[in-house]
Order: sequence, then structure tokens, then C-alpha cells
Amino acid sequence: MPFAHLNVSSAYSAHYGVTRPEALASGASAMGFEALAITDRDGLYGAVKHIGACIKSGIYPIVGVSLEVISKDASLGRVVILAHGHDRGAGWSALCRTISKAWQNPGRNKRVAIKLEDLAEITQARQSSCTILLGPESTLAKTVLVNTGAAQEILELWKSAFDSSGSLAIELVNQLTEPGSIASEEHAKAMHDIAKANNLPAVLTNAVRYLSPDDALTADVLDSARHLEPLGVFLPQPNAQAWLKPDNQMAQLALEITQSAKMSLELISNTASLAKRCYLDPVSDCGWGQPKTPEQSALGITDNPFEVLWQKAHAAIDWRYPRAKAAELAQIQHRLSKELIAINQLGFATYFLTVADVAQMIRDMRVRIAARGSGAGSLTNYLLGISGVDPISEGLLFERFLSTERSTLPDIDIDVESARRHDIYRNIFRRYGGERVTLLSMQSTYRGRGAVRDSGMALGLEEDQIDQIAKSMWRFSARNFRAELSEKPELGNFALQAENDRKLNLLIDITQRLDRLPRHISMHPCGVILGNSNLLNLTPTEPSGLGLPMSQFDKDDMDPMGFLKLDVLGVRMQSAMAYTIRQISKTKKEELDLDAIPKDDPDVFKMIRTTNTLGIFQIESPGQRELTGKHQPTEFNDLTLQISLFRPGPMKGNMIKPYLDGRHKLIEPDYIHKDLRPILEESYGVVVFHEQLMRIMQKMTGCTLARADEMRRQLAKPDKIKKIASYFKQSAAARGYSTSVIERVWSIIEGFGSFGFCKAHGAAFALPTYQSAWLKHHYPTEFIAGLLTHDPGMYPRRLLLSEARRLGVKLLPIDVNRSSDQYEVENLAEGFGIRMAVTEISGISRPEIERILAEQPFRDISDFYTRARPSRRTLERLALIGALDSLAGIRAEANESNRGDLLVHVRQISSKPLAKQDKNQLSFDLGSLDRLPTGNQSPTKTEIIQNELSITGLDVTDHQLTEFQELLDELGVVRASELVNLRSNTEVLIAGVRVATQTPPMRSGKRVVFISLDDGTGCADATFFDEAQRRCAHLLFQNRLLLISGKTRRTGVRGVSILAENAFDLRALWLERKQKAS
Amino acid sequence: MQLELVTGVLLDHDGAPVCFSWRDRSYTVCSRPVRWYSRRLWWQEASAAPKGVGAELVEIEMWRLWAVSETDRVFFELTHKMPEDQWEIAKGS
Repeated sequence: MPFAHLNVSSAYSAHYGVTRPEALASGASAMGFEALAITDRDGLYGAVKHIGACIKSGIYPIVGVSLEVISKDASLGRVVILAHGHDRGAGWSALCRTISKAWQNPGRNKRVAIKLEDLAEITQARQSSCTILLGPESTLAKTVLVNTGAAQEILELWKSAFDSSGSLAIELVNQLTEPGSIASEEHAKAMHDIAKANNLPAVLTNAVRYLSPDDALTADVLDSARHLEPLGVFLPQPNAQAWLKPDNQMAQLALEITQSAKMSLELISNTASLAKRCYLDPVSDCGWGQPKTPEQSALGITDNPFEVLWQKAHAAIDWRYPRAKAAELAQIQHRLSKELIAINQLGFATYFLTVADVAQMIRDMRVRIAARGSGAGSLTNYLLGISGVDPISEGLLFERFLSTERSTLPDIDIDVESARRHDIYRNIFRRYGGERVTLLSMQSTYRGRGAVRDSGMALGLEEDQIDQIAKSMWRFSARNFRAELSEKPELGNFALQAENDRKLNLLIDITQRLDRLPRHISMHPCGVILGNSNLLNLTPTEPSGLGLPMSQFDKDDMDPMGFLKLDVLGVRMQSAMAYTIRQISKTKKEELDLDAIPKDDPDVFKMIRTTNTLGIFQIESPGQRELTGKHQPTEFNDLTLQISLFRPGPMKGNMIKPYLDGRHKLIEPDYIHKDLRPILEESYGVVVFHEQLMRIMQKMTGCTLARADEMRRQLAKPDKIKKIASYFKQSAAARGYSTSVIERVWSIIEGFGSFGFCKAHGAAFALPTYQSAWLKHHYPTEFIAGLLTHDPGMYPRRLLLSEARRLGVKLLPIDVNRSSDQYEVENLAEGFGIRMAVTEISGISRPEIERILAEQPFRDISDFYTRARPSRRTLERLALIGALDSLAGIRAEANESNRGDLLVHVRQISSKPLAKQDKNQLSFDLGSLDRLPTGNQSPTKTEIIQNELSITGLDVTDHQLTEFQELLDELGVVRASELVNLRSNTEVLIAGVRVATQTPPMRSGKRVVFISLDDGTGCADATFFDEAQRRCAHLLFQNRLLLISGKTRRTGVRGVSILAENAFDLRALWLERKQKAS
Repeated sequence: MQLELVTGVLLDHDGAPVCFSWRDRSYTVCSRPVRWYSRRLWWQEASAAPKGVGAELVEIEMWRLWAVSETDRVFFELTHKMPEDQWEIAKGS
């Protein structure tokens, strides 16, 4: 019988294994193995990928886990637990439950471990469903060479817990380590002897950590990351033998251990028969590929789910289309029937009811909800309240979302307020029961910076040095590190050093080796798995950061396992909008229903067209701002188009320019044939949307939309194109289209490939885009308060202050008597303003914040000091930024006491120790100090702004650029708001705070750097090509204050950007000027 | 410790030494030689670790054996260095 490897750690044994499951399976298959196990440490993280890869490679999958076992507080070491197969899931579920249990009951030091009696109970519940391998990491193995008697005692413990035959085996490993040490030939012999003496089967493994010997070096680096210590400090792996050895080498090792041909054959055959017992049948053991949804009872339905769905959807027509006329109603009914028939055919009624049930639960919690993705194309989703976009009026197609030609569960993604996401998760657990729900996990993998940090640590480099290198790594994957050295100007320095420094050169190679390896598991940002009551027999779980159990499987494992994954994504913009609505209600006593506002407010579009889109969902990025200037949207569908065009696909497909040219009547739109005009009119003849392509195929060939979508998906596959072409051409010709029309349309279809965008997705995004723009226009103060509180955007918060000033929204500094932990709108005599939140103060602790909020208001400074009990540092910082001004009676215009005096006062007070037991006495003592000293120097405005920036990061008093105003005037620097009035190709200087840096992928492959500067009048965008980057790349990724020289480039009606020539450090220039002056 | 070279090493078909010369004497292996692999501390010596050289940097082949010459019987620990294919005494007694 053929040998199989039964102890294999994949890269999913984080910081231990080196090779990904896919590579292990294809490697094993190439070596001629018939089966392969995966036995990762503490979990099944790689198991689903392993099974999938084994199916693909045509070998039998075996799954187990490496887990520590404890008995009465004593560790029995790590053992491998293998699930038996072909037992209708008994082995698989015992394995899952064992792992979940080990994570629930961490032993001492919070280590993941399973109690011996729990392991015995779970794996022998009805029958023996797993085999435990006592191998080189067990305490048995550690004792066997030292003290045979003690080893026998340990083994007795195991034998008494596992009485059924086949539950235990002794694992021999000969990794050719130093004779007498663990995993040496001598050690394997001793293990063999104890197996024979106890009449237990012995099996041979190689305790594999990597596919090929070369990867042993990577394993060293991973060991260092696991130990959090440099190489050389901890005991390293013994050698490079833990690789997936071919069967002839394993047979040779067996012979060396046993020194007998007969016994070595027996060892191999024992191993092979255990392997066979563990061959998993993916379908009957793991439920491979079979969709699993909650039982009807869990959803509270007793009738046929399809009938319930049918009734629910129809009953909602009145709600969604209250004013529909008979003709429209007929259209709605027809489309709904079509959708429901498809859903029923696929057996997904329960799935839709589940999602609808969750959506209803979220609305009942009064949390904002929106759909995202292709799900918005479904009328059923609209009627069930899952989506808020009307698919009929927006021209969205159901077939893009769900088609009878595919049978995987569709993704319905829901966006909710980010601040309420965890509440929603907890309610989902409550509603469906902990046995049916787990969170989804996510594996983060090594990227450039993480890889270089851990590699640097392994080599024992100084932390500062590693930090410096990591910071200069700007968005490239670690595997290209060496190649990037000559490409990227900002790495130039490091490249030079590496030529002469052995360790730095080594660093490059080992950093490359770490790239893409899994680092650690964490909670997926939005996934919840909803299953039936069998869920916890199919996936192991571990505690998440949130406390709720989390599956060890990631999103790619969902389809193979047939798990229903619900994407409940927390969107900060939804929180910001919900907050805005609450602020409006608080200050203006207006109850706003944001989902009911008209979607054609001309003033809102007018505001968008100015390109001051900061804070608006999806269209605030520098690129979108530029596109807004060129595009000049006037209606809701324009937003859908704009969001869809600014995507990698349409950008690579070069769709933006012909679209804009058509829109601005620079070219006459070409619809090719009158039949296509209704389909392409909205985009001036350019095929932008998947939905348009589907309609064209349907119109010209007469196929169904479902079929059209199938063909669209296959366009990306070169081997399928020919078949589609001949089908398209023949069918279109049969319907009477001329050859020239057919050829031209086909060339568009062929070129479309994967470049288009799903309109439903664009429309789903356009809704919050419009809603946020509407709020920004009608309620700027409340909206900016919402943005500041929930920080949904891509820019630093202080840019919002710039925008607030530009809009005339009043900013109120932190005041310990008025500020809360949110940005509240205040109604002052001079109008509404936004009070800064106390949370922004650097170093302030949560208890300090809570005491301030609980004890407000305060009488004076000593009262504040005794009741809020701030640390000395916090107190001083509060004084510095003026948060104590109102307590001290300082007003900006008052002369008699100033902030300098206040600071001295605060220092005097806080130099006295704060006696807790006698607050009153202290307050009295301090009271005598409550008259401010006088005559101390007042801070200048520049100093005030500097303090605000260093303590809160927010220049509330004035824009930080005002400090440099003289210099800027001298140099003739142009303001961002003035750029729009300049001619193209004007030489200019711009200056400001760097608020965004982007290096989007370019068609040419060359890197282009986009920098946005904020100068208080708006944002100016500069583009750096190759040559300019060579001059100043070192400044572009690190400096905050920049002066940029370049030429204006007009890009549209209101679009201007700067073609940069060079950049300078503004502060350095200013210091230079000051020095010259003095 | 000064490393000493062992020369004229003859191998059997499994790569195990059969006889060799040391300090001008010829030795013949007289026990079952035990091959094992020891560690190298590559981070102290290597200046590059590109794909392919990992194993060489991490480990080194060792042989433990008894050998006889005309006059004595000696326990040897031999190091087989790759890629230079060089044999050295790691520990002699």
C-alpha cells in the first residue's frame, strides 16, 4: 500500500508552516502520492483550501489538527488528531468540536489546549471517529529517551482514556537530527519500541513544515516572528529536513529506523491503512457544496417558504409603488413573477427570506441600511426592503444578480451604520441562536511593510532602522522588493546601503520570502455565517475580538462549504448621516426621513458641480473631484454613471473620454443601429454597464438575459470567445442585422471583456452619494458635525475644518464644560456652530473622558481638577488648547488675564498631590489659588495653532498655512480656489498641507503620484510623473507641508490640476527665510 | 578549534563514507555510519538568501562513525560541506 504524509503543517499554521495548501497538494500529487493530510496548528484554517486542492489534483484529502492536550493541569504536549472519513461526518464534526472546545477552555497561560477527558469524550462519543498520533511534540516523545518508566506512565494515561482500538497510534519521525535528540533515528527507534511493547500501531511521518528543503530558511524567519525574538536568541529548528519527502526517501527512513525490511514494510503499511481510514469524502463528510440555510422554524415560518416569499413580496408592492398605474403595475407584477420563478427554481426562497428577516431586524433596531452590489438589481430585494434602489426606474437587471444558469448562493451585501454593526451582530446571534451563527474570519497576510519589519527583527536590526526602511516601502508587494529597489527613487538610499551591508542585503531576500504568507487571523470586517443547527459540526470556531465566536474559515471557504454568508458591512458614512439626522432633530426640531427626499434637487447638483465634494460619499477623492469637474452631473443617473466610470475596469477600458466627449457634444454619439439607441443613450453610445451589454446581446440575438449574462462572464476567458462570437454573429444575422453592424458591435463586445461595471452596484452607491450631498447642501453644520464624529472619509479630519471654514460653518474649540465625546452642534447667540470633541486630545484616557462627561459642568479650574481628576499632562494640554479658558474667565478680547497666566496657574495647582479622601479641603486650598497670576507672556496665534495641531491634530483657530502667509505672498503662491480662473499651461506655485497621496495603477505601468494639498480655500491636485518624482520623491511620501511648482492643466469645465515639476519642504524654506532675515 | 580536512573519501551508493585519509593514515569505516544534519547559523554569515540556496544555508551534513587504521580505532564525527564537497573533522576522539 502506498505511503501518505499524515503530519503536514501548511502556511495556515501561522508563523510555523511555510507552504500554502494548494502548493502542497499539487506537489504531493506530482510526487505520485495518492493522498495528503493537512494538520495545521490549533485549527482548520487551511482545511477547506486543502480539500479543494486535493479534489483538483485528484488525490484523497485527509484533515487533522495539531493541538496541545492537558491532563489535570499537566501538559501532554502537542499531538496530531486525524479525522476518520466516510463515516457521514462523524470524524469531521468531532474534529471541529474538539478544536472549538480547545479554544473555549484555554489552559494555563491562555494557551489553546484540550483536556484529555474532553478529547476522549468528543472523539469516542458513539464510535471512534478520530485517531490521535503521539508524535515528536508530545511529552511522551520528550520522555522516552530519558526515562522509559515515566514514558510508560504517560502512555498509560493515554491508553486508559482511549480504550477503543484505532484511537491511538505512535508517530515515528526521523528527521536525521543529532543522534539522541528528538526526531533522530535513535529517538524514532525508541518510539517504535514503546509502540511494540504496548501493542499500539506505529506510523511514520516527517512532521512536514514546508514543501521543499529550500523553504527551511523561511521557516527560521517564521520561528523568529513566532518567538518575537531575533534569530540566535531562541533554539532554532534542528535542520532543514522537515520537507515533504517522496515515498522512496520515506521508505529509506523506515528502513533505517527498523533495520528490518519486514518491519519497515509493516511501518509503511500501518501508515497507509491509517491514511485510508482518514480519506474524507468531501460531500458526505463535510457537506461540500451543499447550500445550508436556517431551518424554517428558525425563521418563524410554518408554511412553504416559497409561498411565504411570494406573499411577502406581493404585499410590499403597495408600499414601494403607492402611485403606480395599471400599466406600470402589470410591468411590476410581470417582473416579480419572473424573479420569483427563478428563485424557486434554484431553491433559494429560504435564503431570500433569511436576508429579508435580517434586514427587517436591522430596521427594527432603527439602524440605517442600504444594499450594495448586484443585489440592488433585484425587484424582490427592493420589495423585501433589503435594497433601497428601485431597479425598474434605474434600469437594473435581475439576471445580473441571479441566474438559473448558476447555482451558487448569490451575495447580498448590506451596508449599515458602522457604529451599530456590533449591536447588529449580537442581535443576529440572539435571533437565530448561537448554534446557527458564527462570525466569518479573515487571514491577514504578509505585505511589504509587515514582511520587512519581521525580517528585520529576525536579523536583529535596530528598530529605528527597520522603521525607516518600512516607511519608504510604498505600496508594492514584498516579493518584488529587489526589483523595486532600482525602480523607486525613494528607495535609492536604501539600495545603496544594501550593496555594502551584508545584513541589509540579506533582509531583501528574506523579506521576499515572507510575502503573502498568512500572519494572523482576525474577524472579517463584515461577514456573518448563518446556517442550520448543524453549523458547529461543520466549522470549528474560536473567540473573536468581539467575544462572539468566529469560524476558522474565510470567505473563500464559504462557497465550497455551502455556507450562507451575509455581508453586513459597517459604513461610516451611514453612521455620519444617521448622526446628522439626530443633530438636525436636536437643534432644529425637524424629523427628517432621508430615504424619502426627492432625488432631483437642482441645488444639490449645482453644489456638486462646483467640485467641492469633500465629505460626499464616493466622489470626494482627488480623482473623483477631477472627474466631477469634467462631468458636471445634473441628475441621479449621472451619479450612477460617474461612480461606475471611475472604477478600474472602465478606466482600463478607456471609457471615460468618449463618454465625456459625447456628453459635452464634442462628438456625435454613435449608436451603430437604431435598435441600440435606447440601450446606449444614457452613456452616449459607450458601453459602460454589464447590463447594457446583456441588453445588446438579448436584442440582437434574441437570447434570454440570463444567457446573455453567462456569455458576458465568459468573455474574459479566451477559450470561450470563439464560441460566443459564432453564436452572436449567426443569431444576429438571422434576425436581419447587416454584417457591418454585426462586426462593429462584436468588436465592442469582444473589447468589453471584463472592463465594464455592474450598474446595480453603481446605483446602490449613488444613493448614499446623493443623500450625503443633499445633507451637505441643506444642513452643512450638522453634516460636518456628523463627518467629524464618524470620520467616514479618506482625508485627515483637519481637512474637514478647512471645508467648514470655507462653508462659513463656525468651529468652537474644545471646552471642558461644553464638549462631549462627539462633535455636537451648538446653538449660540451668533448662530450654530460645531463644538470640538474632547476625545481628540492626544494621550487623554477613556476614564478621564468619562469623568469629564459625568462631572460636567465645573465651577472653576480647581473644581475641575478635583472632580474630573485629569492627569497633570492632560490638564496642561487642556490649558494649552484653550479648553479651560471659559473656566478661567478668559475671553479672546480680554486683556487682564491670558492663557500664559492660566498655564502658570495650572502648573501650580497640579504640582500639589491630589488627596482623594478630602476633596472639599483640597478644593478649599486650591480655591485660594484661584486668582490667576498675571503678567505672563501670552502665546502668539502661531503658537496657539501649533499647540492645537500637536495636541489635537486640528487647527481650529485658523488654518495652519496662515503661519506662512508672508512667505507665500512673497513667492506669489496661488490659492486653490483661484486655479480655476487660470489659463491652461500657466506656471504656478501652490502650497498647503498634504492631505492625500495616491499611486493608482496606470495603463502604461509607470508609476504616477497624485498629491492633494489643502490651503484653506479648497484642494489643489498635483500630478508627478517620472522626471518630477526623481527630483523630489523623498518629500512626496513623508513631508506634510509642501510647496509645489508646476503648470496648470485644464481638464474640463471646472477641472484644473497641476502638472508638477518639483516639490519643496515648505517649513524648511520658511526657516531658511527667517534665518536670512535675522 | 582548528578544523582538519579529511581527504580521499570514498562513498558507498547511499553516500556513506567507506574509507578516507586523515593525518597521513588511511581509515576504513568499521561501524554502521549514522548520517545526521546539523544547523548552520546563516544569519551570522550569509549575505544573500535567494530562492534555492535555503537548505545549504540552514543545515550541514554530518556522519558519526568508527573507523580503523593499521594502528588504531577512532570515533569520528565528519562534516560534509556543500557545495564545495569538502570533508572535515568536526569532533575527533
